[in-house]
Amino acid sequence: MEKEKTLYSAIPMRTWRWLGVNGAYVPAGVVPADGNDVPAGADRQWSVAQGAVRTETVVYRTEQAGRVTIDVAPGAKLHYTQVQLLPADKGHVDSLEINVAEGAEARVTIAELGAAETVSKVTINLAGDGAVGDLAAIYLGNGSRKVDLNYVIRQAGRRTKADMQVRGALKDCSEKIFRGTLDFLRGSKGSVGREREEVVLLNEGVRNRSVPLMLSGEDDVDGHHAVSVGKMDQEKLFYITSRGLDLSEAQRLVVEASFNPVLERVEDTALRAEIEQYIEERISDGK
Amino acid sequence: MEDVTRKKTYVEDIERSLYDIRNEDRSLYKSAKGLTEAVVRDISQRKGDPDWMLQKRLESLKIYNELSMPSWGPDLSPLRMDDIVTYVRPDAKMTGNWKEVPAEIKDTFDRLGIPEAEKTSLAGVGAQYDSEVVYHSVQKELADQGVIYTDFETAVREYPDLVKEYFMTLIPPTAHKFAALHGAVWSGGSFVYVPEGVHVDIPLQSYFRLNAAGAGQFEHTLIICEKGSSLHFIEGCSAPKYNVTNLHAGAVELFVKEGARLRYSTIENWSRNMMNLNTKRALVDKDGVIEWVSGSFGSHVSCLYPTSVLRGENAKCEFTGVTFASKGQDLDTGASALLLAPHTSANINTRTISKAGGKATYRSAVKVAPAAKGAKCLVNCESLMLDDRSRSDTLPVMDIQAADVEVGHEAKIGRISDEAIFYLTSRGIDEKEAQAMIVRGFVEPISKALPVEYAVEMNNLINLELEGTMG
Repeated sequence: MEKEKTLYSAIPMRTWRWLGVNGAYVPAGVVPADGNDVPAGADRQWSVAQGAVRTETVVYRTEQAGRVTIDVAPGAKLHYTQVQLLPADKGHVDSLEINVAEGAEARVTIAELGAAETVSKVTINLAGDGAVGDLAAIYLGNGSRKVDLNYVIRQAGRRTKADMQVRGALKDCSEKIFRGTLDFLRGSKGSVGREREEVVLLNEGVRNRSVPLMLSGEDDVDGHHAVSVGKMDQEKLFYITSRGLDLSEAQRLVVEASFNPVLERVEDTALRAEIEQYIEERISDGK
Repeated sequence: MEDVTRKKTYVEDIERSLYDIRNEDRSLYKSAKGLTEAVVRDISQRKGDPDWMLQKRLESLKIYNELSMPSWGPDLSPLRMDDIVTYVRPDAKMTGNWKEVPAEIKDTFDRLGIPEAEKTSLAGVGAQYDSEVVYHSVQKELADQGVIYTDFETAVREYPDLVKEYFMTLIPPTAHKFAALHGAVWSGGSFVYVPEGVHVDIPLQSYFRLNAAGAGQFEHTLIICEKGSSLHFIEGCSAPKYNVTNLHAGAVELFVKEGARLRYSTIENWSRNMMNLNTKRALVDKDGVIEWVSGSFGSHVSCLYPTSVLRGENAKCEFTGVTFASKGQDLDTGASALLLAPHTSANINTRTISKAGGKATYRSAVKVAPAAKGAKCLVNCESLMLDDRSRSDTLPVMDIQAADVEVGHEAKIGRISDEAIFYLTSRGIDEKEAQAMIVRGFVEPISKALPVEYAVEMNNLINLELEGTMG
């Protein structure tokens, strides 16, 4: 019998139930519905003082649930990196919430790569005037892995700037749902929001669901989102294989090239090498 | 601090006098309010339904009572089915002669320009007033080629096998609560059959007018385009404004056979007390093409998402839509496409405009099935907001289950740029006209897809909507 599940993460605006994208459910007891009472040791709460610069990195290697909350004070800068490298037989749930005050900046880099099933939510509140949220993420699905991502950037202050860039690759019979929301609240005059998702489908049998939402209660904004989903560029593939590389090596090169703009943001070179190694193993052995 | 607030003037609502003229309610018969088995049996008996149709209605009623209201989308709480009259028979008999249409009803359609359009640009016309079709005509040449264009009751009577084979197979009563409601109380509508290889060169049109207050209109449109045929069908809707809620829950089922092409155009301008919960679906076979052109201007609440089921190899869908939401309007519109076969393609292109507190939502679903190798889908939606009291939301979903596909989605939201206005005004164009020009340019992909008479009507609607809006 399937374990009872509870709603962990909900889309900001509901749509047809048959599409199965309105909410993400996790086993009851793993993490309570809206994450106020997270298991001990997995809760991190930080703040970045006014005008300060802070760099933080969270790597999930064994923990199966985690919540991070960060307040970025006026004029402060946050560089936050979150990497999930759990073994392929584990389930994972995480939540990240960042509140960005006036003139402050949050630069967030995420790699969702491991676990059998992962449910992840990110909310960035651009609360103050001139707040900046720059979110770049990669995800990889292989084997029978299931990835569920729900990212929201809420633009409340005036002249805020949001950028959400998500790149993914799906292989074998993996499945993924990505919900990306830019929410321009009334009063966010002069704000700009950009969102794009690029998905490479490496073989038949995968399932990709993309839900790019853009909500606006303000006319004086400039919002744009784009999604592109497709198989590997056949010309590129032909070129690489004609140079003597086999298919899985060619796939790895294409995926790495796609992920590079995000990976380059990971400043810790040892961690970056570990991520690259992890991706390589996942693509080549399919586990 | 820089003041980013810009001055604007607001106009609450457009001049709708043409559409809002209401005639005295001279209906011959009205069903009791609400939805009960007795009401459904009464409608069925008065329409002289065959037994299979009565059974279908009763089955739909049962499903209606079992289904819950949608858990998403606009607030439907103003709709109280117990207050809705589901069947209103006007004091008129269906005729093929315009002169025989009762003066009051004729005047209404005259004002809306229907007979004029028939003379100049249409191959056939159907005009429905409340629950019944009051006028129907089709050019003799088309009838000679075997084209059937008639009101739905006549079709049930005269072409029972055809109707039975297709009726509510694409929109079954189980689809959702309002499809079940439609199945129980449908009345009026159009039936079109285009035989194999026949090309209908000039459009057919149906016009739906709901005059009675507190009533519902539930017309059924069924179009079958046989192999290699082609047709352009135009649907227009309007109603006068009352203080009570009216309901429109029509159903449109389109069957596009191998190599056929069907264009279905709608300019909808229901009054602002209308709940427009319409369902439209097309089933497209190999090499077939469905083109939707959809303009949503009226109603208090609209939920409208024409769906294309591309089940044949190389079947195509083109959707072009414009939605203009003004004060008190919550227009939730969009499109769905199911790509089920190899090399199918869908191209969805929409524009939404919101102003004076209106709410425009673009909602869509694109599903690519595992069998749809080589499928292509491109979605483009652009939203224009004319003030900061309005809302504009975009909610597209893509569900891709095949790898050999090309799927792209793009959406933009924003306002009219000050630079564009400055450019035009510096060339001697006054500001109001400059803004209207930009809005007309914004909806051009839609007006281009309409026959010229309807493009003009749409532009007039936009001009009315914009009059004095911006400053």
